[in-house]
Amino acid sequence: MNLSQVLAANPKMKYIMFGGKGGLGKTTFSAAAAHHLARQGHKVLVFSVDPQASLSDIFQRDIFGKGATEIMPNLFAQEIDADRRIHDFQNEIRKRILDRYGFDKVPDEIESYIAAASSEPAMEESAIFDAVVDIVFHGEYDYYIYDLVPLGHALYYLSMSSIYDEWINKVTELRSEMQRYDKVASKLKSEEKSEEDEILTELEEIRRRINLSSSIFTDKEKTGFFFVVTPEEMTILDTKKAEGLFSKFGVPIAGFVVNRVIPESLLSEKIPDYLRHRIELQRQPITKIGEVFGDRVVGSVPEFERDITGLDMIAKVAEQLFGGAK
Amino acid sequence: MGEDKKEKKKGIKFGKSIKEFVYGMAAHDTARFALKTRGSMEHLFILITMGDMLGIPILPPYYSLRLLPYVVPQISTWKRRMLREKDFTDTLA
Amino acid sequence: MNSVLLPVLGAVVYLVGMRVYAAYVDRKVIGADPKRATPARMYADGVDFMPTSRSILFGYQFKSIAGAAPVLGPIIAIKWGWLPGLVWILLGTFFIGWVQDYTSAMVSLRNDGKTFGGISFSLISPRARTILLTFIYLYLLLIAAAFTNIVATALANAPRIPLAIAVLAVAGVIVGYLIYHGRTHLAIVTVIGLALFYGALVLNGQFDLRFGSDHTNWLVWVIFALVFSLFGALLPIWSFVQPINYLSFYIVLIGMAIAVVGLVVKHPAMQRPLFAGFTADSLPLWPMLFVTIACGAISGWHGVVSSTGTSRQLQSETDARPVAAGAMFLEMMLALIALAIVGITAAGAKGTPDQLFASGLGSIFGFLHLPEKWGLAYGPVLIAILAITILYLVVRFMRIAANELMGRVMPVMRVPAIGTVLALVLTFVLVTTGTFKYIWVLFGSANQLMASLALMIGSIWLVSEKKKAGFALVPMVFMYLTTMAALVLTCWQLLRQAATGLSLAGAKLPAGQIAGNWIAGVIGVALFGAALVLAYDGTTALMRFGRQKRETAKGVA
Repeated sequence: MNLSQVLAANPKMKYIMFGGKGGLGKTTFSAAAAHHLARQGHKVLVFSVDPQASLSDIFQRDIFGKGATEIMPNLFAQEIDADRRIHDFQNEIRKRILDRYGFDKVPDEIESYIAAASSEPAMEESAIFDAVVDIVFHGEYDYYIYDLVPLGHALYYLSMSSIYDEWINKVTELRSEMQRYDKVASKLKSEEKSEEDEILTELEEIRRRINLSSSIFTDKEKTGFFFVVTPEEMTILDTKKAEGLFSKFGVPIAGFVVNRVIPESLLSEKIPDYLRHRIELQRQPITKIGEVFGDRVVGSVPEFERDITGLDMIAKVAEQLFGGAK
Repeated sequence: MGEDKKEKKKGIKFGKSIKEFVYGMAAHDTARFALKTRGSMEHLFILITMGDMLGIPILPPYYSLRLLPYVVPQISTWKRRMLREKDFTDTLA
Repeated sequence: MNSVLLPVLGAVVYLVGMRVYAAYVDRKVIGADPKRATPARMYADGVDFMPTSRSILFGYQFKSIAGAAPVLGPIIAIKWGWLPGLVWILLGTFFIGWVQDYTSAMVSLRNDGKTFGGISFSLISPRARTILLTFIYLYLLLIAAAFTNIVATALANAPRIPLAIAVLAVAGVIVGYLIYHGRTHLAIVTVIGLALFYGALVLNGQFDLRFGSDHTNWLVWVIFALVFSLFGALLPIWSFVQPINYLSFYIVLIGMAIAVVGLVVKHPAMQRPLFAGFTADSLPLWPMLFVTIACGAISGWHGVVSSTGTSRQLQSETDARPVAAGAMFLEMMLALIALAIVGITAAGAKGTPDQLFASGLGSIFGFLHLPEKWGLAYGPVLIAILAITILYLVVRFMRIAANELMGRVMPVMRVPAIGTVLALVLTFVLVTTGTFKYIWVLFGSANQLMASLALMIGSIWLVSEKKKAGFALVPMVFMYLTTMAALVLTCWQLLRQAATGLSLAGAKLPAGQIAGNWIAGVIGVALFGAALVLAYDGTTALMRFGRQKRETAKGVA
């Protein structure tokens, strides 16, 4: 099957993700897929969950922190400005504290906590995680394309959802327990107390958001996850391993795309020796890819003579990926 | 008129004291224990959600911040209790 | 003399004590300031520190300190006649008892709600804390042994009540469950629990529950008490200990209320001798009376309670006097009632403390035209309940203390079951080999040493704050010397009997009793040693602070 067929066979598929090691071409393919689908008349949003987003580079437009930006008809791209979002969030929290307690200013130790939060290692990731919830559920796009983080981080990103979920469950349990003890104390004191636990409500909301987000990753109908590989031994091994882990998480793996295949046809031209050598070297891995991933390889894209930037190059990649645009 | 009211108020106050006295003997220790347990759990909750305030990063900082406004009043007592030296005679308290 | 005079005298002492003496100290020496923030208000963390109303705390403190000891002490002391007991209860409470309770509360209150351990560490010396912990463990063991004996003896002597006690445990579990997991109104839950208990009591009233010979029967009830405590020590506190304590409160209240009403209505005359001799049961009045009646005059247990739970709940400094001192005076009244109950029993009547109490209560029931046998049954019920509700807590603390003391060196001690079993085994050994009268006075001595220690900490704090410490210092010295004398005498009697194998009267002792005397004697010596070290460290601290005081005084001059 090729990529076009995969999409055709899965009409409900809305969420497309390209994952793989760093530098293998995820962003390229994300952009290409977005381009193809947009040309076909679908409204597409491609967004980056990588703090080191490179969508601006590939589209040659500064879209960082500018919300969903129209690149061409039907094609929208978005890079989340995590820092700004965190900053705005911090201010929102400050305001909530001031309003709630009628302070003139936020108490010092609380302020230092809020300020320090932005340099938390996981803050960027959790901020982006939360931003995605808004993006994916408030827009009205036909397709959402996730430009994911490199493999290692992707795993972390996935596990974040289940970790967050675990955490919310435990903490919600804890709060329900607490309510029970409160009730006992009130009963003994013959007090009438039926204060609803606001935190419990807040936790429920957080859980809802987390579940929305993580449910996408495991939705067999709506989600398609594609691994990007290149014809190199190490990549194949790593990808195989990752595939195992991702399926354990329940991520529906829709296929594998091979990138940077140096065309055999070059052999008949006058090319430097090292290039000839490389073409020979990549044969083994290509065969291996065929063995290991079989008919789940849905596309093969050649190495281009220049960097993929700009709509024209993206269109070329799309052509390769989807087998001729309509 | 004023005297009557004063007497009545005194009577009510006295009645209240008696009620509280009986409650203190019969049920206060159990109620205190329930509240203590709940309080411990609250502190645990704060630890889980805001542990990084004490240098113990446990969970998604974005969501910790979101819960922060609710626990602001308890933060200093929580910190003090986490860092306080404990005695086994504390169990008697 | 008429028994009603006892509570009347008590009321006088109560009023004068609270309104004159305690009020004076509170105002002039301590300077209780209603405007100063207490730890409860400062820290209000909803965990330990919760500002609570004065009336509630008064009830809470009173319930915490009033146990079996204020009832049993005066009964055991009747052997010297009722006057010595009366005088000691009245004067002891007036000059020493409330002082200890109140000062302990104030010291903790003014020191951030710190507990005994923490304060002794900072005020006296670091090793004072370790010694204190060891001391506490031995103290707890003595309480456990004494109270196990009391429970077992009461149940053995009254075979028509044990079923009710066993059912009380079941009722407790049910009540605990309903409070924590059910939606039933508290009043209904309470009625259910009490109904189960009284139902079982009535049922058991139809037959004798005993096993085998007298001694076997007694052993059975010893084990019953220990197993009861096992549950109390290991089960979550809300599921067993607390609900049982809750129900017990009502059971005891009903009994004591009947006793008070009966005494007031009939005001019978005291039948016991006023004074029965300086030496009774080979124990001399001084120093032994002072360690026989511990609670009810002055007791170290109160210091620990005041300084921990209560001080962290006081919402105003001026509440310390009505709560801490007040509860102590109220406990004095309780002791006086117990003294009256045993005082009206026949002059020559012999028996164990529970039997004497039962007999007295039986008579009182008779005064109110209730069947005397109800009183004869309710008496041991009260004794057994009062004792067992303390016993299981004590075993629980022993487990915690063992963990604290040995947990690092012997990790196995951290396992709750192990610590509990250890405590129970030690208790069993002490109960079965020891002689009750000696265990009781060792318990009393340990108790009073705790009181001296509390007073010492109080005095040291007063001196360090440059306040007049006399009102605490003088009682402390008296208590300390008296108690040490009692310890010396007790150890002497115990070890002499153990070493010679002969009783004081010259009769040959069975091997078990010899072993028991050795054990008790060694414990006594250990207590004595610990008390010496603590006294030494305390005196050094006192002198240190005293010197500072003099130096600053000189500087100012």
